[in-house]
Amino acid sequence: MKNIFRPIEATIEDIIVETPAIKTFVFRPKEKFSFRAGQFVELTFPGIGEAPFTPSSDPNIKDRFDVTIMKVGKITSLLHAISMDIPVGIRGPYGKGYPLENFHGKDILIVGGGVGLAPLRSLLFTLFGEIDKYNKVLLRYGARTGQDMIYKNAIPEWAKKDKIDVLTTVDVGDPSWQGNVGLVTTILKDMPINMSKAVAVVCGPPIMMKFVTLKLLDLGFKPQDIYLSMEKNMSCGLGKCGHCRIGKYYSCKDGPVFTYEQLKDIYDIWD
Amino acid sequence: MNIIYYVESAQLNTFFNQLKKNYRVFSAAVKEPKGKETDYYYQNTPEGAPLLYNSYRAVEPLKAFFTHPCEKVTDYFTPEKDITDVADKTVIFGVKSCDIAGHKIQDFVFLEGVEADALYRLRRENTVLVSGDCIDFKEVCHCLAWDILPHPTEGFDLNLSPLNDGYLVEVNSQKGAELIREHKEFFVLAKDAQVAARKVKRENLIARLKKHLAPQELISKGSAQKLVKDGYGLDTWKQFMLTCVECGGCNLICDTCHCFLLSDAKVSEGKNKKLRLWDACLYANYARVAGGANPLKARAQRLRNRFMKKFDFFVDNLGMPACCGCGRCIEVCPGKIDIREVLKDLAKKVIPKT
Repeated sequence: MKNIFRPIEATIEDIIVETPAIKTFVFRPKEKFSFRAGQFVELTFPGIGEAPFTPSSDPNIKDRFDVTIMKVGKITSLLHAISMDIPVGIRGPYGKGYPLENFHGKDILIVGGGVGLAPLRSLLFTLFGEIDKYNKVLLRYGARTGQDMIYKNAIPEWAKKDKIDVLTTVDVGDPSWQGNVGLVTTILKDMPINMSKAVAVVCGPPIMMKFVTLKLLDLGFKPQDIYLSMEKNMSCGLGKCGHCRIGKYYSCKDGPVFTYEQLKDIYDIWD
Repeated sequence: MNIIYYVESAQLNTFFNQLKKNYRVFSAAVKEPKGKETDYYYQNTPEGAPLLYNSYRAVEPLKAFFTHPCEKVTDYFTPEKDITDVADKTVIFGVKSCDIAGHKIQDFVFLEGVEADALYRLRRENTVLVSGDCIDFKEVCHCLAWDILPHPTEGFDLNLSPLNDGYLVEVNSQKGAELIREHKEFFVLAKDAQVAARKVKRENLIARLKKHLAPQELISKGSAQKLVKDGYGLDTWKQFMLTCVECGGCNLICDTCHCFLLSDAKVSEGKNKKLRLWDACLYANYARVAGGANPLKARAQRLRNRFMKKFDFFVDNLGMPACCGCGRCIEVCPGKIDIREVLKDLAKKVIPKT
């Protein structure tokens, strides 16, 4: 019988510097591995520990995957300090991923905050690959400053694509920043969107998701059409270790993407 | 209808000792006799030692046989053949009804869901549970409050009920039936009168336990979920946590608590292993995420989380609360936090929503 805790060996193929605190790591698994947009993996460092991350690359690329990682804790600091020849293990993928079939034929509003754009990039690539199935994709992305913005070079390229509408903003402007200034909620108005056939996908820090959700409800989005990434401290990934409970759900196996409808009656979801 | 045998005490002992040829045999033992309440512990029974029949549950939870406080769950980058391929054949005597009821939660967590835990499953398959009727109870025992009887009705392989100079042995599984078949010379079919006598003994114990519990006015199984939900904002959580020292004892000794943490350790240069450690939701860093955010920062939040998990989450997911009334958490707590009292305090303070 399969040992659910056994990691697959992987090598780090490339490290791309996104911002002073964020890097994208390209992993090449040594065994067959695939994921769907929104699913997450446990990156595990032999003898050191493991932590959950959501891949940020196109799920259709099967031999390698990217993870965009901000330096915030023990494992991420280690990752930011390493060279490419360190052995790495991966477990997963875990979770349900985005229910793309619910998005077919609709306007998809994607709202990202900071490094929260990383998992959304995986979704964006998926949508780009089968754009005929969707009516329109709107990306609204906010970062703290222009310097903290990830995928800076790619975003203008996405904006040129057919059926894609992109707006970005920063919380704090500076002389080098030419664009919008203000929280991401400030670019969620006057959107060219058909509210009767629209879904919203949100990923970012809890406080950002809270205010974006309130704004979206205000705009007329129904709770079942708002998809939120509820990242907790997922450890096992299979609903056994207990850490990532949200009400009657586990973030790891029932999420990490939930609709607001699933969450709205649960206490303290934004903590 | 299960088959019930009768075995004389001396012959049960012979049976018990013969099992050691093929199995690790665990049974209850007493470390040091105490005044009022004897504490029983499980021990890997020494050769020739007679079977000690424990009157009520052991100190340790049954889960300790199936997951360990700290154990290796995998090596790194090894082929599929690994530690999940080996588990000792084990017979455990001295298991009680509350242990079996609580263990349903462990089975649900480790055997069901997205994928089963191979190591747990193998240990479970290689273990025979020989339970026994309770013939007494501890002050903290309150199984009846959760509609659990002090004698097992399901989930066991063999069950012993003391009767005069021997025991009735009820067979409840293939595994149990096989053990009897291998030693059939010791067992005779029980007579109707003996089974009737078992019933009387069981009813007497239930009556005694009811009498013990009645003045406590405990919360009933059906009302606990609504109670913890309605009581979410009450000061009960804070009040009861004033004496908590965050030792995690209540979690670790609980037969239904199953949380664990995956960690890593170096074995030697270039060789590493992944560990599973029992975790406790009363620990400060239980829910902490990278960067330091912690949704369960306050101790009161953590106590409430424990109760929500037990009486809300598991009722929604498994149809039963994750408490078997064994009272281990009450006994172990240096802060004298009593699960019965927490629920009663909620009931006192909750304003019924009409």
